[in-house]
Amino acid sequence: MPQPLVGSFPYDKVKGTAVPKPTRTASEQGYVSEITKGIAVTMTHFFKNTRAMVRGERPDPVVDPMSEGITTLEYPDQKRPYPERFRGVHRLTHRDDGSPRCVACLCCSTACPAQCIYIEAGEYGGKDKRHGYERYPVKFVIDELRCIFCGYCVEACPCDAIRMDTGVHPVPYDSRDQFIYGKNMLLAMASQAGKQKHENPRAEPPDADYGPIERLAGHH
Amino acid sequence: MEPTDYDIDETDLELPAEPMRLNMGPSHPAMHGTIRMVLELDGESVEKVDVQLGYLHRGFEKMCERGTWAQVFPYTDRLNYVSPILNNVGYALAVEKLAGIVVPERCQYYRVILGELARISDHLTCNGAMAMELGAFTPFLWIMKGREHIWDLLEEETGARLTHSFFRIGGVAKPPRPELKARVREVVDAVLLILDESEKLLLKNRIFVDRLQGVGHITAAEAVQYGFTGTVLRATGVAYDVRKAHPYLVYDRMEFDVPVGTDGDNWDRFMCRLYEIRQSCRILAQACEQMPDDGPVNVERPEIVLPEKEAVYKTIEGTIQHFKLVMEGALIPAGEVYSYTEAGNGELGFFIVSDGSGTPYRVRVRPPCVFTLQGFPRMIRGHMVADIVPTFGSVNMIGGECDR
Amino acid sequence: MTLSSIIWTVVKILIVVGFIVNLSAILTWMERRQSAMMQDRVGPNRAEITVFGYKIRLFGLLYPIADAVKMFTKEDFIPPNADKVLHSLAPMLSLFPPLVVLGVVPFTDTLCLDNLHEVVQKNGVVASNWHFFSSWIEQPSCSLPGAKNFIDGCCVIGCQTAGVVHQPWAEHFGTCPANVAPGMIGAIHMQVIDFNPGVLYVFALAGMGIVGASIAGWSSDNKFSLMGGLRAASQLVSYEVAMGLSIVGAIMVYGTIRLDEMTRWQGDHVWGVFVQPLAFILFLTAAIAETKRAPFDLPEGESEIVAGYLVEYSGMKFGMFYMGEFIEIATSSALLVAIFLGGYNMPFLHRDGITIAVGDAVVWKQHIPHILVILMQAGAFFGKIFVLCWFQMFVRWTLPRFRYDQLMKLGWRMLLPAALANIFLTGVILIAFDRTGTEFQERMGVVGDFVNLATAIAITFVQLWIVIGFFGSTQPAIRRNAFNKRARSAGEIVEKALAS
Repeated sequence: MPQPLVGSFPYDKVKGTAVPKPTRTASEQGYVSEITKGIAVTMTHFFKNTRAMVRGERPDPVVDPMSEGITTLEYPDQKRPYPERFRGVHRLTHRDDGSPRCVACLCCSTACPAQCIYIEAGEYGGKDKRHGYERYPVKFVIDELRCIFCGYCVEACPCDAIRMDTGVHPVPYDSRDQFIYGKNMLLAMASQAGKQKHENPRAEPPDADYGPIERLAGHH
Repeated sequence: MEPTDYDIDETDLELPAEPMRLNMGPSHPAMHGTIRMVLELDGESVEKVDVQLGYLHRGFEKMCERGTWAQVFPYTDRLNYVSPILNNVGYALAVEKLAGIVVPERCQYYRVILGELARISDHLTCNGAMAMELGAFTPFLWIMKGREHIWDLLEEETGARLTHSFFRIGGVAKPPRPELKARVREVVDAVLLILDESEKLLLKNRIFVDRLQGVGHITAAEAVQYGFTGTVLRATGVAYDVRKAHPYLVYDRMEFDVPVGTDGDNWDRFMCRLYEIRQSCRILAQACEQMPDDGPVNVERPEIVLPEKEAVYKTIEGTIQHFKLVMEGALIPAGEVYSYTEAGNGELGFFIVSDGSGTPYRVRVRPPCVFTLQGFPRMIRGHMVADIVPTFGSVNMIGGECDR
Repeated sequence: MTLSSIIWTVVKILIVVGFIVNLSAILTWMERRQSAMMQDRVGPNRAEITVFGYKIRLFGLLYPIADAVKMFTKEDFIPPNADKVLHSLAPMLSLFPPLVVLGVVPFTDTLCLDNLHEVVQKNGVVASNWHFFSSWIEQPSCSLPGAKNFIDGCCVIGCQTAGVVHQPWAEHFGTCPANVAPGMIGAIHMQVIDFNPGVLYVFALAGMGIVGASIAGWSSDNKFSLMGGLRAASQLVSYEVAMGLSIVGAIMVYGTIRLDEMTRWQGDHVWGVFVQPLAFILFLTAAIAETKRAPFDLPEGESEIVAGYLVEYSGMKFGMFYMGEFIEIATSSALLVAIFLGGYNMPFLHRDGITIAVGDAVVWKQHIPHILVILMQAGAFFGKIFVLCWFQMFVRWTLPRFRYDQLMKLGWRMLLPAALANIFLTGVILIAFDRTGTEFQERMGVVGDFVNLATAIAITFVQLWIVIGFFGSTQPAIRRNAFNKRARSAGEIVEKALAS
């Protein structure tokens, strides 16, 4: 049984404005006139769009997505560039000498809610400038199928080594193993502007503007 | 063996009339969000409905207990997947309430703007899909064009069309872009134009009006008893809107009305959503007016908010703070809190418990859909099979938040 | 039945079936592209074949072919507990009736084989051998004795030239000079079946459409199918009644149930839609309901009962239902054209050429050889069908679906009484009209001519408008960046929303 309204809802505090009921005038009840008007509305769209298509005057959906008329993209033929903040497929940034900027700190794989990043860290060899200074990823694997494109890895990276600004959405493949991007694949990706280098201002040993600080070999 | 005629009394000769059991869903065009309804039909009219949910259950609440507090945001995206921003805001506000954080004003306006855009997209989708399921395909696609404008804008701001994961505890992932306000105005104008045109095809069309008016009605008292919130409750005449009743963010500075219905039928729900879209546009206009153009978007709480990237790159303090937050997560003080916001479908509540660690102890969601869905058999009883479509559409059950 | 008449029958069947089947294929394309244009999208246009290295797309016209290939190669699934015979029979039963209904619909006037190059008048007299410059308001002599004037290829004394008058159909034979009696060699009736029941045959066969749908619903062993079949049966039966009664008024006016006679009457007077507007709307509504398309697509009811009686069909069996649906659109359009929109007649296009005349005043007259007249009539008939199909698509893509009880209410409580009222009104008017004098009837004839004139002007105007609008005008159809220019008006909308 419905009971009277109880509880602490602030019914009196807010006064709502009632929405209108259907008018149901005689012409509306008779179907024909209102249906004719409706068909006139759709016909306007039809003639406008057909005319634009026939005359080839259709607004270009790539540059003018907000015009009236047809704005659908014919996808593989036409592509709209993704916005600047779009989170696409990952890339690993390069240093000056082309080696990965990543230092295998495992921040991204920790921050990843989907746990799709696998990193195997390794030490640089004894002759390397970076020996004893930092590590590098022996393996850097992202499973793009598990990835949810939340961007947490980019946020978690302390040295601008991983980015999602490629402007490439996850590409459909035939089999699952193709979705597993290895280190070389990730390093080969470039940003929408074609850049591959990192933008971390801090210079590290192999960088061109790395300062004179030398660390003792074997210092860990 | 079949009895022969002379074995039977005259009274037995009547055809046995037992209701037909019809299994609607979980895979059925109108049962969006995979839900199952076992109908008992007398001809075309529904005598009894058994609504069974759980077909989209993904263990959301349990999964939240695995990662850090911040790692819950991607899960909230997938609650009400038609307006993910609103879920993000709801969860962020809940954690901030527990941690005693008030985000800077600019971030509050940013949350309001993106949230109202998401609300518009939610209502557009609901109304459009409802019209589409009744057979009116043309206005649906026009409305989808309007929603596309909104999603384009959200994509420009957040970086993703649907799974934004954009807000953070104590702020937001990225500051608003400078062109935000102009774009919002542009999009709002476009949506209103499209809406006006679509209304021309629907609101005076008797076929459509007949399908909605007087169907699926529920009284205010029953709606309150079932725990309805949001548009479904307001359509019955109860002007309960969390944004008005318990203002959060900067909603107390906004001037807007709460559209209410009178009968609580499908028509009222449809119209309430239409008018709420317009009210959201009002809020957007005001928010764009009031929002400061510069200022911090993240709160000054180094133990919770990630440091600036510059600081991480250059200073050892920043790096340490960064590692601490990424590896361990922000430590939220022990306690429990219930926080509720007005989401697309109604009151979206988060009841969270913290044991003081970087991982949630419990995240419990109060989705508005479950409550409206449990009132659904009451709404549909005595109506026809075809009425399930608009009624279920106007209840706007979203499987993601219903089953979690 | 001579050999030549059999050959001609086969030719006529090929013309009609060829037209309708191809039209139904084009209609599937039209439905896709037209709905796309209405809904601000491009529509399917990517089906392509490669011929000698050239990729041909044809705006998506190849989709029907792709559909056919797909449907023939798909698995033909029959549910294990289904009645296999009936399950296979149902698609045939639903494809067949709409196809044969067209047998009684005339698609041109009687064809006189011997006089193709001559100007043949309505009464079967050869007016003259046709020369291009010979025929400015030329008044051929009237061959009937006692005739005073010659208008419209018809001696005034012999037949009423215009006016809403019930006339015995025998006067309106499309006779040929060679042999006055119709149906003999040399005078070919351009309809497949030349027999008297006419409209009755149409209704008898249109009623068959129910059988296919309900058998399909019953034999599929699926509750959704069963509901669809039941809905189809009850809907079609109800609308059959309204359809049949709506046409009675027209039959009373025309005084015949033969479709070719109806068409001739409309050629002599005015199109049926002007004398029976209510019947036209009722018949159109009922015809759309018979095609089982939105807003009457309850038997299929996508979102309610999945696909109704089509749930368990796949492959070409589904294709046959699908084709039957589109053929039904074409058929109902053909019936509407023949009964209400003048059939193959265009205003002022007569058997001997174009005569623009109002009352007795002949404005312009141009004789046209017989074969050209026949071709123009065929073009008019098929063109009208096309336009009507196009219009039905608009209805389908604009309106939402009825509910079952509302549909029944519309059929029994609105259409049926309206049809009965129409019959009553028509009867009263006809009796009153018969009581009036000849003067009034002649005056009505002039009114009819004016209506014809208006129709002709309207048709010309629409054609000019489309041609000029599509190709002539320099103003672009859609302003680029239109939105920014419209922003001001949109701003007003926001203001309005703010004020509300």
